[in-house]
Amino acid sequence: MGLSAVDNVSEELQICIFDLRRGQYEGQELDKILFFFPVDSPFSVQLSVIGLSEGLITFTRIFSPEASCEVIEADKHSHVFYEAEPDIWTVMIVMKDKELEAVWRTEALRKVLKEIHSLFKMFHGSIRSLLEREPDGRLIRSSLFSFIMDYLKDFLVGKKLHLPSFRDSLQERGTVQMLTVGREAAIEVQSLVKTIEASAGVPTCYSLILFQDLLVSSTLHPEDTINLFTYAILRLSPHAMSPGVRSWSYLRKGSGATHPTVGTVSTSSSSISDVYGSLSTSGTDRNSTFRPLQSGKWARGKDPFLTTDIWGLEDGASSSRTPTAWLQEEKMYLCAYQHKSLTLILLLPVSSISNGEQGITAVKHQVLENASVKILKVEEKLSKGWGGENAYHVAGYRYLLVDGDRHASRASPPGKVTTLTKESLLALNTLREQVDLEKNRAKWDDPHKETNLEVSIRAKNNAWVIARLARGKELYMVLEKANETLLYASDAVEKFSNKYCNGAFSLD
Amino acid sequence: MFGKAGSQSGASFNGSGALSHVYIRSPPLRCKVPGSRGLYYDDGNKLLIASTSDQVFAWRTVPFSPTASPTCDLISEGPVLSIRFSLDVKVLAIQRSRHEIMFQNRETKECFTHWCKTESESILGFFWTDCPTCDIVIVKTSGLDFFVYKSESSSINLVETKRLNVNWYVYTHESRLVLLSSGMQCKNFTGFQLSSAGLIRLPKFEMVMAKSEANSKPVLAAEDTHIVTVYGRIYCLQVDKVAMLLHLYRFYRDAVVQQCSLPVYSSKISVSVIDNVLLVHQVDAKVVILYDIFGDSRAPISAPLPMLIRGFVRTNSSSRSLSRENDSAETNEFNNGVSIYGDDWTFLCPDLVCDIGKGLLWKIHLDLEAISASSSEAASMLEFLQRRKLEANRAKQLSLALARTIIVERRPISIVAKAMDVLITSYSHSCKSGISIKAVKAEKASSSSMVVQARSSINELNESADSDDNAKVKKVAFTDMQPKGSSTSQVLSQEKAADSRSSSFHTQVSGSSSRPLNANLAETDSQLSSAAVSPDEIYNFVFAPVEEEMTGDPSYLVAIIIEFLRSANLEKVKVNANHYILTVQLLARSERYSELGSFIIHKIVDPSKEVAYQLLESGRQNLQTRKLGLDMLRELSLHQDYVVMLVQDGYYLEALQYVWKYKVTSVRPSMFLEAAASSNNSQHLAAVLRFFSDFSSEFRSSAEHHTYCHILNGMNSSIST
Repeated sequence: MGLSAVDNVSEELQICIFDLRRGQYEGQELDKILFFFPVDSPFSVQLSVIGLSEGLITFTRIFSPEASCEVIEADKHSHVFYEAEPDIWTVMIVMKDKELEAVWRTEALRKVLKEIHSLFKMFHGSIRSLLEREPDGRLIRSSLFSFIMDYLKDFLVGKKLHLPSFRDSLQERGTVQMLTVGREAAIEVQSLVKTIEASAGVPTCYSLILFQDLLVSSTLHPEDTINLFTYAILRLSPHAMSPGVRSWSYLRKGSGATHPTVGTVSTSSSSISDVYGSLSTSGTDRNSTFRPLQSGKWARGKDPFLTTDIWGLEDGASSSRTPTAWLQEEKMYLCAYQHKSLTLILLLPVSSISNGEQGITAVKHQVLENASVKILKVEEKLSKGWGGENAYHVAGYRYLLVDGDRHASRASPPGKVTTLTKESLLALNTLREQVDLEKNRAKWDDPHKETNLEVSIRAKNNAWVIARLARGKELYMVLEKANETLLYASDAVEKFSNKYCNGAFSLD
Repeated sequence: MFGKAGSQSGASFNGSGALSHVYIRSPPLRCKVPGSRGLYYDDGNKLLIASTSDQVFAWRTVPFSPTASPTCDLISEGPVLSIRFSLDVKVLAIQRSRHEIMFQNRETKECFTHWCKTESESILGFFWTDCPTCDIVIVKTSGLDFFVYKSESSSINLVETKRLNVNWYVYTHESRLVLLSSGMQCKNFTGFQLSSAGLIRLPKFEMVMAKSEANSKPVLAAEDTHIVTVYGRIYCLQVDKVAMLLHLYRFYRDAVVQQCSLPVYSSKISVSVIDNVLLVHQVDAKVVILYDIFGDSRAPISAPLPMLIRGFVRTNSSSRSLSRENDSAETNEFNNGVSIYGDDWTFLCPDLVCDIGKGLLWKIHLDLEAISASSSEAASMLEFLQRRKLEANRAKQLSLALARTIIVERRPISIVAKAMDVLITSYSHSCKSGISIKAVKAEKASSSSMVVQARSSINELNESADSDDNAKVKKVAFTDMQPKGSSTSQVLSQEKAADSRSSSFHTQVSGSSSRPLNANLAETDSQLSSAAVSPDEIYNFVFAPVEEEMTGDPSYLVAIIIEFLRSANLEKVKVNANHYILTVQLLARSERYSELGSFIIHKIVDPSKEVAYQLLESGRQNLQTRKLGLDMLRELSLHQDYVVMLVQDGYYLEALQYVWKYKVTSVRPSMFLEAAASSNNSQHLAAVLRFFSDFSSEFRSSAEHHTYCHILNGMNSSIST
């Protein structure tokens, strides 16, 4: 079952990526298209969508050269713009339909575009750099194609793509979810981190540790942390590695329910690949591009680090090549190790490992020798302290807490959020849309000043829908079946803030 | 020619190239008196005694001083076999022959003589005791006689007798233990301890003797049997000349257990104990091997090395180079004549050596510095140093230096982590066991009255310690001990040590080292009782200097601090803010802000005002870090500081909300008014003015109110025009 088999998708969703610096002359317009979804759209459709987007960008740039078009709300569609790299735009067009639950929050959709680009950049490097490497665009087109198709497969529920809608208002893409640990466990974790990084024996080395689908520790740059965390949740965590086991991480809701059988896009529907291939690249070239998001490709290796053949095989050997990723402009080897619920990712600069795979093997060996006892100990300690997938449920509250400084979020478990009525969620979606607007506006007024905000709304179904912004932290909340007074709502927030946020929202 | 050779040997003893872990110090105590007939050692009073035909001279050996002058007692003429003063030093007891002991009151000069009852038995020796049931014990070939000394009637009264055949005996006052040898090979032993609780009879036991040939049965000699006291435990050491082994037996209340056998490299072996370190002198080989009989390890602390002679340094300076300088001139006269491990050397319990021929008494010293320099095993060396009490201050300095060195040398984290574990564990035990310096000092002085004092001070301590948590642990350990009664875990300990170290004794039983008390108290006293290092000292003397010395990526030091915190956390030792401030500085310097954030959020860094201000300071380059500092102030309820910082960051309206909520009355309105006025926002200024009018009753009548109302009017009029 390939994505392209979905007929009605084209109606609801279009995604395109184009480069404004290409195809400037008449007759060469196709040149600027780097990616278009659905892939089987006729060129006329593709060109008209991109033409409209380009026109809007050019037009709005007149008024706001720094930040042009963000979103266009048409009668039936929303166009969400995201300038991934200078002059390289990604645009998502979604159909609006209340009946079909097609109620979107622009910022949530933009975060999807951002995530696609960030992940792509982490594995392939920037789009611009690939274009510069192969100006004819074959490489970038085939890379983007396989990458985004693999990415979108995770949103497939049944035969429909489920993009983040109002039902996902109590989630925040592009953040990490942290495991809360006690001081003793935290010290043990740090001790493990330092042991690992010291035993790698290279001057700079980073690590990321996850427990289940939650982040425990990272020494990476925050941006890299988010990207690698996202990737780990998608493909490396114990849940991601064993299909069929329902992932409870809310970001993974779609794929968990019905994990698509892995039929590769390029092979299962030759007609589509022909269409796409005729545009850009021959089939042989595409096969050479690697697909880091291809699912079901990671497994436990012999060493016993996790291994994958996504990056190809070692020349003249049967062993797989060590994966690499770009972090802050530096290419890194990515070594992942898993012990029960603990996933440990070690990143070593390619430049500091002189003798390639041999060097990596030596480092892996060294790390295991020095740290395996600590790994066991930490896993045990974290397992003991972990409250299960509903650990962060707070009775009576449905909440989302975002810490902008840490790029972290925590929310009511998805299972609990589903108990909310549609009205509450729609109200929350509207509120969040407004808060997003307010935040952006304030940012333009004074980029150094953070927005402080309190909104409590009594929704039609008598639920309280609340938003609080305080010094970089955001709290969204839905209280159903709650008392009608504002004082009650305010008290509820205060209690929550004091108990779970160290009083961060208790200013008033 | 002869003289030349002598000076050469002297030079080799002093040469800077010579290594030694043990040394004696020049000048020695000279105990040669004209007409001297013999030298005796009274270990009960730690007196070295010389007798002439009609005089008895006695030098105190504790505290050891080469310039000590002797006391002198006149006695009647006659043969002298041995001399011992009573423990209150009022009575002199002289064994005149194999059948008679003469007692002389030193004040009144009254004398009386005790005779053996029968001719068939003879006196092997005698000693005074502080056992509650008797004062003096006479060891005879037919057994032990226990007497009470009656000064008023000038007599001794027999109170108890133990009948058994005795070949010879060994006794040390330190252990209060007398071992009686019997049997053909003299290897069957009966032991009695004259403890404060009364007479304790130990089970009979037999020592191991290897046979050289089928028919020859070696006979154990008294000089091959030594009683030593190490860490409050009593051991007997037996030299097996055939097997060339030194067997180590440990005494329990109901058992004698052979612990191990150490190899020896000389048929003549002597032992000393200095600061609980066992010195096995391989007399023929003229080397000494050191053992720290504490844990399971029976490996020597260091390689066999000769004993050296060093100059006497009056200042008690710790510098070796200084002592070497002094060596040169002043001490050569002694050195030339000194033959280390000479035939006349007699080792006195526990740490003295006497050259009987020349009448010189030396005290044996450990060179902790040399020992610590000789080992590369950082953690075990630290353990060794942490157990030293005699030169606790030096051991402490060496521990700190060692810790510094391994960090500066960037040894693997696991090794430094172990070292930190040792230091923290040692400190934690020193806090828990809580022995005062006073007690330890008293212990050093050997008079019995002082011992009583020490006991009482210990009792006080235990009572006062009951209030804190540590005492509970100790109590549990203590009550655990009681029902076991005579189980092997009940260590038979010498009376004095058992009393004055009651708490340390029990912690030892539970498998841990004992450290007297609290370093803060110790700091005020030059005579430290423990080498334990407090977290504060680790900061001041390890982390702070190391941090200055180390350049480059500070992540190694951060890793070490984490290991330190881990140890401290496990031992529940409180860590000072200094460590946390350093951690914040190091992470901020390497721009590892997100790691810093997780350190704060997970409370690895303990929140405190100092840390909060460091975060604010380090956060100048990183807003997230600055906010962590602000949040910490708020979470610590440091309202005033928090409000001031909020205003500094331009959040004066939010600050006012906070002021209102927490009624922070100490804030100055002018701070807010200035901030609002400089923002040029008349609404905000009006709001601030209004706020303080409501918040404080005096504000309306203040000059500030007037001034800023004026400014507000100015703003409004400029807007309207």
